Amino acid sequence: MAKGNTKSGTLKRALCYIGKYKLLLPVTALFAILTVALTLYIPVLVGDALDLIIGEGLVDLGGVLKILSLAAILIGLTALFQWIMSTINNRITFHVVRDIRNDAFRKLESLPLSYVDSHPSGEVVNRIINDAEQLADGLLLGFTQLLTGVLTIVGTLGIMLYLNWIVALVVFILTPMSLFIAKFIASRTYNMFRMRAESEAAATSYIGEIIGNQKIVKAFCRENEAQEEFDALNDRLGAHSLRAIFFSSLTNPVTRFVNSVVYAAVALFGAIMAVSNPLKEGGIVALISVGELAALLSYANQYTKPFNEISGVVTEFQNALACAARILELIDEEPEIPDAPDAVELSVREGNVSLRDVSFSYTPDRPLIEGLSVDALSGQRVAIVGPTGCGKTTLINLLMRFYDVTGGSILVDGEDIRGVTRRSLRQGYGMVLQETWLSPASIKENIRLGRPEATDEEVISAAKAAHAHSFIKRLKDGYDTLVGEGGEELSAGQRQLICIARVMLSLPPMLILDEATSSIDTRTEIKIQRAFAKMMEGRTTFVVAHRLSTIMDADLILVMRDGNIVEMGRHGELLERGGFYSSLYNSQFAH
Amino acid sequence: MTRLIRYLRGYIKESVLGPLFKLCEASLELIVPLIIAAIVDRGIGGADRPYILRMCLLLVLMGGVGLAFSVTAQYFSAKASVGFVSRVRSALFSKVQSLSYSDIDRLGTGTVITRMTADASRVQNGLNLTLRLLLRSPFVVFGAMIMAFTIDVKSALTFAAVIPLLSLVVFGIMLITMPMHKSVQRSTDGILSTTRENLEGARVIRAFRRENAEILEFSEKNDTLTQVQKRVGRISALLNPLTYVLINFAILILIDTGAVQVNLGNLSQGQVLALYNYMSQILVELIKLANLIISISKALASASRIADLLEIESTEPSGTSCEPLSSEVALEMSGVSVRYAGAREPALEGVSLSALPGETIGIIGGTGSGKSTLINLIPAFYPAERGEVRVFGREVSEYNPAYLRGMIGICPQRAVLFRGSIRDNLRWGNESASDEELYEAITTAQALDVVNAKGGLDAMIEEGGRNLSGGQRQRLTIARALVGNPRILILDDAASALDFATDAALRRAIRDMRGERTVFIVSQRASSVMHADKILVLDDGAVVGYGQHDSLLLDCPVYREIYETQFGGGDGNG
Repeated sequence: MAKGNTKSGTLKRALCYIGKYKLLLPVTALFAILTVALTLYIPVLVGDALDLIIGEGLVDLGGVLKILSLAAILIGLTALFQWIMSTINNRITFHVVRDIRNDAFRKLESLPLSYVDSHPSGEVVNRIINDAEQLADGLLLGFTQLLTGVLTIVGTLGIMLYLNWIVALVVFILTPMSLFIAKFIASRTYNMFRMRAESEAAATSYIGEIIGNQKIVKAFCRENEAQEEFDALNDRLGAHSLRAIFFSSLTNPVTRFVNSVVYAAVALFGAIMAVSNPLKEGGIVALISVGELAALLSYANQYTKPFNEISGVVTEFQNALACAARILELIDEEPEIPDAPDAVELSVREGNVSLRDVSFSYTPDRPLIEGLSVDALSGQRVAIVGPTGCGKTTLINLLMRFYDVTGGSILVDGEDIRGVTRRSLRQGYGMVLQETWLSPASIKENIRLGRPEATDEEVISAAKAAHAHSFIKRLKDGYDTLVGEGGEELSAGQRQLICIARVMLSLPPMLILDEATSSIDTRTEIKIQRAFAKMMEGRTTFVVAHRLSTIMDADLILVMRDGNIVEMGRHGELLERGGFYSSLYNSQFAH
Repeated sequence: MTRLIRYLRGYIKESVLGPLFKLCEASLELIVPLIIAAIVDRGIGGADRPYILRMCLLLVLMGGVGLAFSVTAQYFSAKASVGFVSRVRSALFSKVQSLSYSDIDRLGTGTVITRMTADASRVQNGLNLTLRLLLRSPFVVFGAMIMAFTIDVKSALTFAAVIPLLSLVVFGIMLITMPMHKSVQRSTDGILSTTRENLEGARVIRAFRRENAEILEFSEKNDTLTQVQKRVGRISALLNPLTYVLINFAILILIDTGAVQVNLGNLSQGQVLALYNYMSQILVELIKLANLIISISKALASASRIADLLEIESTEPSGTSCEPLSSEVALEMSGVSVRYAGAREPALEGVSLSALPGETIGIIGGTGSGKSTLINLIPAFYPAERGEVRVFGREVSEYNPAYLRGMIGICPQRAVLFRGSIRDNLRWGNESASDEELYEAITTAQALDVVNAKGGLDAMIEEGGRNLSGGQRQRLTIARALVGNPRILILDDAASALDFATDAALRRAIRDMRGERTVFIVSQRASSVMHADKILVLDDGAVVGYGQHDSLLLDCPVYREIYETQFGGGDGNG
């Protein structure tokens, strides 16, 4: 398994994604160099021009014009290069992130369901959306500012040294001061920000808890107590915020002050040296001109900027790397065991399902199902009963091969399901689950999910069979009504009817049904029951049963408790046995 | 923002002094180029070294004074904005406490939470920036221009021309890209929801073998997003080059006209340098201003959403009575109809019902049949559109809501507990309940094993009761409702997560509790209500049966249907 946990590993993997655009990299680097070089050269030109403007009658107007025209051309070029560079950087960044997202999503579709089940969906979504986004921001900043920032610092130093090494030295010694101060403030305020984050989290979670359950607060008349408690949290948040905001906002004024000290120092040294002008104190070599002083001053002003930017970029970049690590971790996740190379297409003839000595557990240290053998013959109905949370869905997971058995085997018509393709196995089952998931699309498309080629007539007759037609046709757009996120709000019962219609349309030889109807009104419940009954005719069916009628008619009842199958048999037999099933059954009538 | 202005009261001094000090600092900054000009003209030109030294010390001194000004300004604006937002948050919280159930339904708790968190902090940030920077940037821009005019009118015209042009570029790009950023957000939301759908619907998608179709759909949406991002990027990338060209061309023009003026003797070299420095100051401030305006417009939008919430009139009943009129009939409803705001059909229509002290009333029906609506009328959580609801002889809206609700113990459908000890949670029912009273309620609610397993009354419950199972939570919420020993007890589908045996034991225990109370049991299970003194059967908001189990079984088809689906066929042996 590829482990991208180390920083350099992550960087390398991220670079692989950039590698696809490697032809663009030298181009953007070239433009970065050109842009920086030109940007730095312009103040020198301006300084040269200023030197030609000495005083009344002493101005070399032709010379000024010549310099200025050159500057104009170079300025135009700089702007052009800058734009090209940004455009290329945008392209690389957005494409890299697109590629990463696509890979992550593709991995999502091939991950074992155990991954999906054991990771909160918000966390995975966060990786694919927010982490990718922050990676993009970090990359973009890295590209545009890291290289140019470093080049600018080096270039500025070089030019200042060239213009006047003493002034350059002054700037070189003084500027790190502003960085130290910024760092000092940041380290001092870190604690304040942490405290603010804590009190903010406390206030936010209190808000979420109370406002989210406002009705209960009102039912118990706890409004005043809640307000008191909130005000206390709110005051604490206010005090912490004030300190954090104020002290962190010192960074700017203080660094500005340091900069003005640097500026004054440059002005002082520069001007003193400019006074030693050979024209006035014959014999001494010209140390500096006014134009050069102007250039130095403008460099002194700009010199600290890239420093601050780079330290910002570095933090941003570290964050981006952390994000990249999270999303790459998802991409590197072990996929579902692929179908065996010699896997055959299962074609279900009878629909005999047999579990042979099946063992299974989600975690190795907690065995769940052990040595389970069940035979469901063609057309039989197997009911799975037990209290909530007893692991009824585990069995469904195994039948559909969402999870693989850890021991024994499951056979369909004598064929081990690990020897057939998942697609063909799943095609053999029709499934109506408690979670009535609908894809964000029209009702028609949702019903067609299992058989995309079905005609409209077939869709309608399936809906009729599922008792869904009457409510669908009353919707504003009928079968074209959009459902799922952002679409028409359907009740849980209506959603379930659509799911049943979906199965009705493809009518596979085996069925898996979850009867859970706690959120469905009585009328719909009866309709659903009828639809279920119709579907089950002649099909091998596994039902997670909640109704006694289903249970009593079942050919086989599997009684589950705490993940294990504790009893197995027909209704009458199980009652006689007087075990868990009979106590479960009898408790319904307790007074 | 103006609607929130009253929360700024008490911070007037800070909100005026903050910007004022900031402007003082900015004025100092505007003087710097003049000093440099003086250094060049008098210091260098006149070879006056002591003068240069004095001027440079002045620069440092001004930097120091500027630092003091600016720190003061930062403090005042931080204090004003934090204080303001703290008050707004407290006012919001208090507003929400005063809202009625219908108000909460209409607003949605998610919205309210966003107002108090994200919106409030955006306003805080916006106000802080406004106080610090909103005046400063225009001041520096126009100040620079005015200073330029004092140096040389002809050169200053360049400023007058370039400032509008720069503003056009900066704000133009901002205006063009703002809607584009929104469409980036929309596209991002699109791939976000596809991702979430694929996680939540993982089983269905795989069962119907839709993996490849989903991958295709995602990559199409992802492509669209990339395209939009690139388009925004291309336009945003124009900002730096365009402003760069404008400012630098303006500088070239300045130097060119300056050269002529100097040659004529109207200007000095130092003054040209000063003009050049002023021009450089403008750009930085304009870009700051553009960013500031984005934050401020976001803050304003948040502020107006907050103000909307604060202006809501609560529809909570305003009764003041604390005296029941009679103790003979606990509850009487006659011809009651309820319609929720915005609903076409009434949720409840023409319901009449009476309950005597000591009676147990069962209420049964499918989802959406109006069971919860009915019992929510008793504590006056919702008003009846028509008809009368009387508790102990008095119309519920006449009661002081707190008094009325104090008589009623309610166990809502959603079993919610709050962070804190078990004792804290149970005392919601009665602040002064002793441990014995608590244990009595716990025992009745069949929750003794839960409390013991957790380690007693001091055991901590996490937010939302995460560290408890559904059934454990449910039993503790029942105990909470029992703690006040209420005269009316409402169990709204409160035993749905309990197994049949516990459910039965619970009902038995409640019947045996000391004191006389009226109990309402709402359920979808026939087994939970079949032994009640009276059973009300609801279907689609209407009463379709009212009586005892045996008679309902005979003459109420809906009740019979419910009973039979749960107890198996017509031959059910219950």
